[in-house]
Amino acid sequence: MDKQRDFVLRTIEERNVQFVRLWFTDVAGTLKSVAIAPAEIENAFAEGIGFDGSAIEGLARSYESDMLAHPDPATFQILPWRSETDPTARMFCDISTPDGVPAAADPRNVLRRALAKAAKMGFSFYTHPEIEFYLLKSAEIGPEGPIPVDKAGYFDNVPGETAHDFRRRAVSMLEQLGISVEFSHHEGGPGQNEIDLRYADALTTADNIMTFRTVIKEVAMEQGVYATFMPKPFTEHPGSGMHTHMSLFEGDTNAFFDGSGEYHLSKTGKSFIAGLLRHAPEITAVTNQYVNSYKRLWGGGEAPSFVCWGHNNRSALIRVPLYKPTKSQSSRIEYRAIDSAANPYLSYALILAAGLKGIEEGYELPAETEDNVWKLTDSERRAMGIQPLPTSLDHAIRKLEESELAAETLGEHVFSYVLANKRAEWNAYRSQVTPFELKTNLEIL
Amino acid sequence: MPAEEPKTGQTLSLLAHCGFDDLEKVLAQLDEVSKTYPDFEDNLPIFQSVANPDQALTALNHLLSEHPEQVMAAKKDKVSLARLLRLLGASQALADFLYRHPQNITKFKAEPVLPNLESMKHNFQNGAPTQGSYQERLRSLRVSYRQLLLQITIWDLEQEKPLEGLGLVAKALSDLASAALEQGLDLARWELVHTKTHGQFQIAEVKATRIAIIGMGKGGAGELNYISDVDVIFVAESSNENLPRDRMLDIATKLATRMMRAMDQADSEPALWQVDANLRPEGKSGALVRTLESHLSYYAKWAENWEFQALLKARPLAGDVPLGFEYLQAVQPLVWASSKRENFVESVQRMRERVSENIPVEEVDRQIKLGPGGLRDVEFTVQLLQLVHGRSDESVRAADTLTAIRQLVNGGYISRVDGKEFSEHYSFLRLLEHRIQLMQLRRTHLMPADSTLLRALARSIDPNWSQDQLLARWHEVKKSVRQLHQRIFYRPLLAAVAATDGGLVLQRDQINDRLAAIGFQNPIGAIQHIEALTSGLSRRAQIQRQLLPVLLEWFGRGTDPDTALVAFRRLSENLGESHWYLRMLRDSSGAAERLTTALSNSKLASQMLEVIPEAAAWLEDSKTLQPRTRAELDQEARSIGERHSDLTQFATLVRAIRRRETLRLALGAILDEFDFLTLAKGLTELSEWYLAVLAEKVDHQITDVSLLKIGIVAMGRFGGGELSFGSDADVMFVYDVVDNSRRDEAQSQAEKVVIELRNLAKDNQLEFDIDLDLRPEGKNGAIVRSIDSYSSYYSRWGDLWENQALLRARVIFGDNQLKTSFEALADRYRYPSEFTHKDIVEIRRVKARVENERLPQGADPNRHLKLGRGSLSDVEWLVQLLQLRYGTSHPEIRTPHTLEGISQLVQAGFLQSYDARVLEESWKFCSRVRSAMVLWSGKKSDILPTDRRQLEAISRLLGYASGSASEFEQEYLAKTRRARMVFERVFFA
Repeated sequence: MDKQRDFVLRTIEERNVQFVRLWFTDVAGTLKSVAIAPAEIENAFAEGIGFDGSAIEGLARSYESDMLAHPDPATFQILPWRSETDPTARMFCDISTPDGVPAAADPRNVLRRALAKAAKMGFSFYTHPEIEFYLLKSAEIGPEGPIPVDKAGYFDNVPGETAHDFRRRAVSMLEQLGISVEFSHHEGGPGQNEIDLRYADALTTADNIMTFRTVIKEVAMEQGVYATFMPKPFTEHPGSGMHTHMSLFEGDTNAFFDGSGEYHLSKTGKSFIAGLLRHAPEITAVTNQYVNSYKRLWGGGEAPSFVCWGHNNRSALIRVPLYKPTKSQSSRIEYRAIDSAANPYLSYALILAAGLKGIEEGYELPAETEDNVWKLTDSERRAMGIQPLPTSLDHAIRKLEESELAAETLGEHVFSYVLANKRAEWNAYRSQVTPFELKTNLEIL
Repeated sequence: MPAEEPKTGQTLSLLAHCGFDDLEKVLAQLDEVSKTYPDFEDNLPIFQSVANPDQALTALNHLLSEHPEQVMAAKKDKVSLARLLRLLGASQALADFLYRHPQNITKFKAEPVLPNLESMKHNFQNGAPTQGSYQERLRSLRVSYRQLLLQITIWDLEQEKPLEGLGLVAKALSDLASAALEQGLDLARWELVHTKTHGQFQIAEVKATRIAIIGMGKGGAGELNYISDVDVIFVAESSNENLPRDRMLDIATKLATRMMRAMDQADSEPALWQVDANLRPEGKSGALVRTLESHLSYYAKWAENWEFQALLKARPLAGDVPLGFEYLQAVQPLVWASSKRENFVESVQRMRERVSENIPVEEVDRQIKLGPGGLRDVEFTVQLLQLVHGRSDESVRAADTLTAIRQLVNGGYISRVDGKEFSEHYSFLRLLEHRIQLMQLRRTHLMPADSTLLRALARSIDPNWSQDQLLARWHEVKKSVRQLHQRIFYRPLLAAVAATDGGLVLQRDQINDRLAAIGFQNPIGAIQHIEALTSGLSRRAQIQRQLLPVLLEWFGRGTDPDTALVAFRRLSENLGESHWYLRMLRDSSGAAERLTTALSNSKLASQMLEVIPEAAAWLEDSKTLQPRTRAELDQEARSIGERHSDLTQFATLVRAIRRRETLRLALGAILDEFDFLTLAKGLTELSEWYLAVLAEKVDHQITDVSLLKIGIVAMGRFGGGELSFGSDADVMFVYDVVDNSRRDEAQSQAEKVVIELRNLAKDNQLEFDIDLDLRPEGKNGAIVRSIDSYSSYYSRWGDLWENQALLRARVIFGDNQLKTSFEALADRYRYPSEFTHKDIVEIRRVKARVENERLPQGADPNRHLKLGRGSLSDVEWLVQLLQLRYGTSHPEIRTPHTLEGISQLVQAGFLQSYDARVLEESWKFCSRVRSAMVLWSGKKSDILPTDRRQLEAISRLLGYASGSASEFEQEYLAKTRRARMVFERVFFA
């Protein structure tokens, strides 16, 4: 710990860092930043930096507004988009109350608690997200809706295209920030791109996702375009998901792997999937937290609208990817519901908790679904026992309300806050008169 | 052989002199021995220095009969015979080993030396067969181990002052374990390469697997017992890039598992001991072997404080030693960083709790290791001092206890005298443990119960000792160890006293460190109080000088030692030289301890003890902490009444009794003398008695009995018999008109009675709130009504909520006729003949409205104990709605008591048992929390605090372990959230 702190202090000197941004995330998943001068850093390590928590969404209960941000030296990075003359660095923070106890409502702490529970059972949790987003000409909405930067499709390589340069620049910036990129390509929708981050433990991944979003926005600004992580900006094009591959490790070995199991899945792996399937509906209000999220989930295409799993089934909620014989370490499963606008800390905490519940209680894994579930009729799905995910935010809230798993994992405070916040969003949405209504009703009524 | 007979008398006393026990049997055995060993009698004096002569002789006889030539080879050599007999008399298990492997009898010839680690490793290697099966190799490992163990034991038993050799023996035993682990690892490597049972492995890849065994606990500290679990952690790395990490870990894990099996699996040559790897990251469920990086990332992120404390004693034992040291270097800084963490105090409290927990009752008196005055006590004191002072002083960080004590003495943290005594006691207890374990080579920390074994144990420590001498010495040591913890850690906190006593004088900041470590927030203030309490020549100061070290320790167990110390000072100044107080402090340690518990956990108790200091006397006897019965209270009131006819004087005395009894209930509740239902009953009965006694007196003096009869009806939680500390007493006043012609006069006289009664019941020192808000017309209504007036009010104007309030109406004062007629009246409205759907809707609407209105401005509904989400009133309203609806047709659900109501509703089928359980849990929890809050803070409050220190304090009163503030808060929020879900489903359905 102290070594890392010393490294930070040394680097600040050597690189002549002018500002250090302290980053943390509110309950909704928005990145918050406080800039401090290098002179204050040592004190920030020792005692934390005080701030008024009541001004941050869901972070503090109104009557205990004093909060302390403690920078985590392991997350220190120089921000590549600030000029060389004015070098700026950032660190993620853990939030505590003045008496030194982790703040109940700090999403990073929620994930830490879930990971600590996994650690008690002997597991560490690794994730690898595939983040989709759209590049638009600007934030302004045209007469036909948002205007994408290109008209290309999946894996298209358009010579001289914006997206190509964009991805190259973004990937290089991410690498400079110590975030390894596995893969990047053009996605199905016009202007839609995907960048996959390399495997890391879930807390690092969640930090990386927050950094990633900032980097993408910064690069877009630099290149005069606009990037959005909105789950479903176009009615007719695919939404932006954040499919996440995940696995549990026991010490240094992959706990999902069993050479003799079907798809080389161990009993642990199967129970984890079973847990995630059973609890998926009740955590959806967090993994898909906006009204708009449900437009993606129920917009057809490859959206994972139904609770089922399959091996290479692109319509399933959970996919067990093809196993590479030489890589027992790479055994993993892919959860496909979560979208690019989710709070990664809370989402991963709940996904992990659901999976662990499956392991603890020894849930049986239901049969694999080989069909494209979208092509089945409602009755067929019913006959096969395939449940839908919540169909709207309202529906998801009602599932969440009854979830002991979510209350326990998020902690009572975050749990109440999320519910109140989402209810407010739903109520605001419900009172809108939408273009759809005007279009379909006005002329004939 | 008649010629022998006259000798018998003498022989028997000679045998007794030599220490034999069962003389007849010994005589027979000697006969047997002399058949192969002529003139053996000449050797009898040797037995004087043998722990268990009978056992030694039996074993010798046994050896002679099977392996005469090996024994007889040493016949001429008295010295080696003496060694052999001492061993046979000290260890049955090693005697058995000799019997299995008689060639080792030659070992007794050589001058005993303690083998060092290198020579032990050689021994193992030389002993291992170059050819041979796994079983043969396994046996050779174990035989080599026992040969070396034999060598150590022979040395140990030859010591004239075994206490002084103890450290060396413990070190040799640890080295022996290291060497055995090393050899076990070699055997495991051989097994993986040469057998196919555990998979196919190449020599090269097994060689490229670097595995280090880190010793934890006693093994790591180099202070092992003769037989104990060896605590280890495994680290592994690959030394070859071509060996992938997965494969390497697979091999390392197999090596570790096979090594462990080599130590403990069953075989004709018995197992050595268990290798215990449960201190590894993630404990039992964690991976057995990890890479260095994986260990470090665990410690950086997940490890808890006690895991760092466990690392205090880590040291590489076997395998790849450089890797082991790399591990050690990386983790050591974490140990000392951990003591800087915020919750250090709580983790110290946890440490202390672990010292005293989980001892089976039947073992307490025989425990050498656990329990008061045991080895664990010594180790705890030493580790605590290391953690407190080792942060800034690197010279006191030794892993083993004896060295650590020496270092603490040299550093000036323990006085030389105390340090010497402490080391001696520790060594004595360890020696006991060694000798007991040696007998059967069993892992035990219990004094033998059998008197033969006790006698042998005594003689093994000192050949001249009897069993009684041993026990006496042991009790003396235990007692002294108990005191030493206080003397070493707490006594130096009395700085001024220590200086004049010639005791250890600590620096101011060292004192502060210690006070802070036990939980004082304001060490400087504490030092002043300590000075005030201990200075002067009074008897009180003298006793306090003696007592304060232990009191400080007890204060440290509570949540607010600072306040407790101040309160104690006041109490002590109040009670001054009063005889019983000093005696109580000095003689009855139980009472003094209870006193500190009450003071350090409850402001209510501290405040009231200041007013009623003599209540401290109750702490001597838990019977006096039980609630007084109504009969006892009535008796006391009667005799006051006989002495005092003056109303004011009478009331003054009655108020004092109520205060006294409230304190009694408070102390009982804090000290867990009874459960919360008893408390509720006690508080309710006390309030009933208080009102009744005062009412009777007022009635007697003011009321014209020919005009009216007065009565009191308890309502709300008072009616339900559910008062907690800080509850108001909800009541209604009622009267029955005797002379119907003078109705107006009766009303005005009734009002006069009520006003007088309310005045008398008021108490500035301990609030008593009579709450009349539940009466007809609420705050605007008449303070008292006649039965007829109630009747006509309810029939004409009564709101539904007023009928609802009647559900818990209970007449607590008044004659039978009045009681019967009031209850008949109440029944008409609380159990109405018809309860329509409209009525149900009305109740629901009122509830929905009051949820918003009655909650104080800005209060978080999730934290309001009475009106909050799923808390008391939700549960009560639900029960009451069901009673209103079904009480008429189902008389069995009629009750003013909430819990009884819930269970009756389940039986009658109006409530699901799951729902009932959820409601009951929340209701009970809220009630308990409410009482605990008042006890802790001395103030009434209905809002669960957010401050963590407050939460911690409340949770402690509810019986949580230290450091459970968040857990308690989560539990409160979860229980009430669930209750609210049930409430919404059932109440609004």
